[in-house]
Amino acid sequence: MTTALPAIAGSVYDGVFDLPALPEPARYGNVLISRSTKSSTHPSVSFSHWVHRQHYTCRVCHFELNFAMKTNTTEITEAKIKKGEYCGACHNNQIAFGVNDDTCVFCHTGNQGATDARFPELKDLPKAQYGDQINWVKSLKKKLIAPKQSILSDDYEPIPFDKVLRLEPEWSGIQTKAFFPHLQHTAWLDCADCHPDIFNIQKKGTKHFRMDYIKNGKFCGVCHLTVAFPIQDCKRCHTDLK
Amino acid sequence: MKRNILVMVLLVMVSASAVFAASNNFGTKKRMPRPEEFGNVVINNYSEKNNIAPVVFKHWIHRAKFTCRVCHVDLGFAMEAGGSDIKEADNLNHLYCGSCHNGKDAFGPTTREKLVSEVKNCDRCHSLDKDVKGQKSFNEYLKDFPQARFGNRVDWMKAEEKGLIKLKDQVEGISIKRQAIPNPKDFDIKSTILGMPDIIFSHKIHADINGCELCHPEIFGAKRGVTKYNMQDIFAGKFCGGCHAKVAFPFYDCQLCHLKEVY
Repeated sequence: MTTALPAIAGSVYDGVFDLPALPEPARYGNVLISRSTKSSTHPSVSFSHWVHRQHYTCRVCHFELNFAMKTNTTEITEAKIKKGEYCGACHNNQIAFGVNDDTCVFCHTGNQGATDARFPELKDLPKAQYGDQINWVKSLKKKLIAPKQSILSDDYEPIPFDKVLRLEPEWSGIQTKAFFPHLQHTAWLDCADCHPDIFNIQKKGTKHFRMDYIKNGKFCGVCHLTVAFPIQDCKRCHTDLK
Repeated sequence: MKRNILVMVLLVMVSASAVFAASNNFGTKKRMPRPEEFGNVVINNYSEKNNIAPVVFKHWIHRAKFTCRVCHVDLGFAMEAGGSDIKEADNLNHLYCGSCHNGKDAFGPTTREKLVSEVKNCDRCHSLDKDVKGQKSFNEYLKDFPQARFGNRVDWMKAEEKGLIKLKDQVEGISIKRQAIPNPKDFDIKSTILGMPDIIFSHKIHADINGCELCHPEIFGAKRGVTKYNMQDIFAGKFCGGCHAKVAFPFYDCQLCHLKEVY
């Protein structure tokens, strides 16, 4: 399984927007972290989002543990992990396997497909069309998974903010709208994961909020290109698209 | 004339590059400061111009000993880094940092004559990009403090309740003790967005460490409702954001303010 399948063509909009190619489902959301291994003999670290998101919501790592949203930008070091920061918050031999000479190779694989063999673990979860082909929102709603809301606060509950935004197109001749449901996002994320850095909170206050920027990793693209369902799945936001 | 044109061209180039730099940052997440960095302020009004490292002021060391009011009211520190325009002479005249850092209440700045032999003390504040020995270690000092989710990861309120810290509200020779004004009542601030929990604002918690004068009347008018502001203003560092973006618990933790149940 070394050759990645070609981008699953299926959306007629692929051509219009020249969407980034998708890896095979088991590799979607897998990242190789080489920030400090580059200068050493250690193989880079393979991190699989789908392994972790079954057990923890996005906010746990991407807020409470201060992991950045771009590979290799988080200031992870072995010393910090051993002190209980970043991966070490769980990989401490109590919650998950700890860091020692025997376990190095669990993460330092240098292989983006290191978790391929575990992918069948997800076989009972509801399906989606793109990305890792798992409908995580439905999985959470149906309580097939119970990811932890917070590891720093025992009684953490997200604000039940259920406003659905209706985003009108700004191109002439285009009629499709986008619908943004807050509730599906706050189940995984803190408000401040997105506000105010990525999205302003004023109506139409976010400048440059356009599809071409999303495609290049900004706005929704911070998550919806690499981990959350990819933007090939047009209709999940543009629900009125025919 | 030629010079004017050159200046104009340079100005256009500088502003264009500023726009470009700013335009590259939109739509992405900013770096969140690490716990030991949160509330640290770099003061560089005169340092680099005088070939000395800029000052790194650490709020966490100071707020473990003093109320906010002592420095930001009695000593007259501005609310923005560099806003106080502090000069070395000010400190030697016992103003600003020099009110305590006088060699008696806290380590003092060395005078010019002593500079060569006592250069160490300069380094303790003029410390940007230096590994300064002898400073308190953040992790060591705060390891038994109650935890919070963000900022310094310390629940400073709880730390005070538990008696881990005792905050001084007076500096001898500078503060003038007056009879305290009883704290006004706590109140709710209605959220303007349906589904957002209302805010419960505690005057007591704020007045105990800020007095009245840190907020009123400049940031907030004295009468309820006269100051209009919204969350976007706060995100931009105004109103509550004057403290709650930089030093007090950051606005990442929505439910610390938006805590009234919605029915």
